[in-house]
Amino acid sequence: MPPDGPILAARGLRAERAGKAVLDGVDLDVPAGAVTALMGPSGSGKTSLLRCLVRLDEPVAGRVTFEGEDFRSLDACLLRRRVALVAQSPAMLPGDVRANLAYGLDIPQEDELHQALAAAGLPAELLDRDAARLSGGETARVAVARALTRSPRVLLLDEPTASLDGRAAAGIEALTVCLAARGLAVLVVTHDEAQSRRIASRAVRLLRGKVKEEGELAIVGGAR
Amino acid sequence: MTGVLVAIGIVVLGVAVSAWRGLGLEREVGIAAARATVQLTVVGTIVTLVFEHVGLAAGFVGVMLTAAAITSGRRLHGISSPAGRAGAAIALGAATGLEPLLASGAFELTPRELIPVAGILIGGAMAATSLTGRRLLETIEDGLPGIEARLALGAGALEALAPAARRAVTTGLIPALDQTKNVGLVTLPGTFVGLVLGGADPAEAARIQLTVLLALLGVEVVAAAACAALVTRACVRPGERVEPSGG
Repeated sequence: MPPDGPILAARGLRAERAGKAVLDGVDLDVPAGAVTALMGPSGSGKTSLLRCLVRLDEPVAGRVTFEGEDFRSLDACLLRRRVALVAQSPAMLPGDVRANLAYGLDIPQEDELHQALAAAGLPAELLDRDAARLSGGETARVAVARALTRSPRVLLLDEPTASLDGRAAAGIEALTVCLAARGLAVLVVTHDEAQSRRIASRAVRLLRGKVKEEGELAIVGGAR
Repeated sequence: MTGVLVAIGIVVLGVAVSAWRGLGLEREVGIAAARATVQLTVVGTIVTLVFEHVGLAAGFVGVMLTAAAITSGRRLHGISSPAGRAGAAIALGAATGLEPLLASGAFELTPRELIPVAGILIGGAMAATSLTGRRLLETIEDGLPGIEARLALGAGALEALAPAARRAVTTGLIPALDQTKNVGLVTLPGTFVGLVLGGADPAEAARIQLTVLLALLGVEVVAAAACAALVTRACVRPGERVEPSGG
């Protein structure tokens, strides 16, 4: 990987559902230490793109590289720990928040769990709460904290504030900016132009499975 | 013959109740009763022949296994080779029970003993396979967000599917567990009833029934576990992905 190259990149990515293209030759760069907004109307392929980037869906053509390596040459489990996807409506696993954060970790350390919660702006007391009884905002943050316990290099957030009230949404926005400032590459799906301007420095706009615009946010936003 | 006529009368009563209460089951009950009559008449004739020709017994067990695999496989639509996977689970489960029972001399390797015992064990394995497999596919469909959350956290596909498989096996074994726990209290199983009606000593009938019942429980556990393993693998795609159907 070149020193300043994107940590995650896609070239010519094509994916199909029921024989119909949902992504059609998508090129994408996700640089470290920045928030990239992924925008576009419903059905433009945003969620499909995120799923392809972590191989939850398999692209039929094109290439994805993580740290310069083709993602098919990497162990899919390891890839998903390094490139963490937080779904639009994250499913909490049965049990308490601790069980969610510790899921799949060899020897979960209590301080690691505390750090992940703190990074997501949540108090340590939340660890013993039943994950099924969290509010929408808490669920969104716990889902981010759960992803952070894998020490990812890239965070893919699919409309993280879609079902949240203004205060909870502001918290997630601040968290997103904070994580990028700590060196993570963050790709956020959003419909909200104002939100993208608040949190992102770059933007990619999809339309019918193709990249319509990509670049610095001011340019992409101004081109509309 | 009187007994059969009385039983037909009881079915007619059931049909009448269905018509009276507007349940709409008259046709289905009638077809089920007619099929059972034809099938048991044919089977009775065939088994009489098989009892007289030892070589036919193995073939008859093969036919039972094939029919069970096709029946169970229909419950697993959506995955690749459903009848093959169901058949493998049923055969493994039934063999687990049949081999030690025959090898130990608990039952003799004669058509008269092999066919009924194999039939009971294959039937039990089929029921456990159908229930477990169907429940597993439904659980995977309904619980896909949770399964994908586990995948997204770096779990392997089989690891992500393990909770669904455990739940399905538990559900698949409910009839076998309930039947075993309540035998003699709520139900008198077929082997016991048949032997007693045939004139056997009730204590001897109970001993044989216990042998079959305990073997059946083990057989169903093995068949359900094998079915869960085979169905989960049918849902796993390259790159540690999970697709519940279309394989």
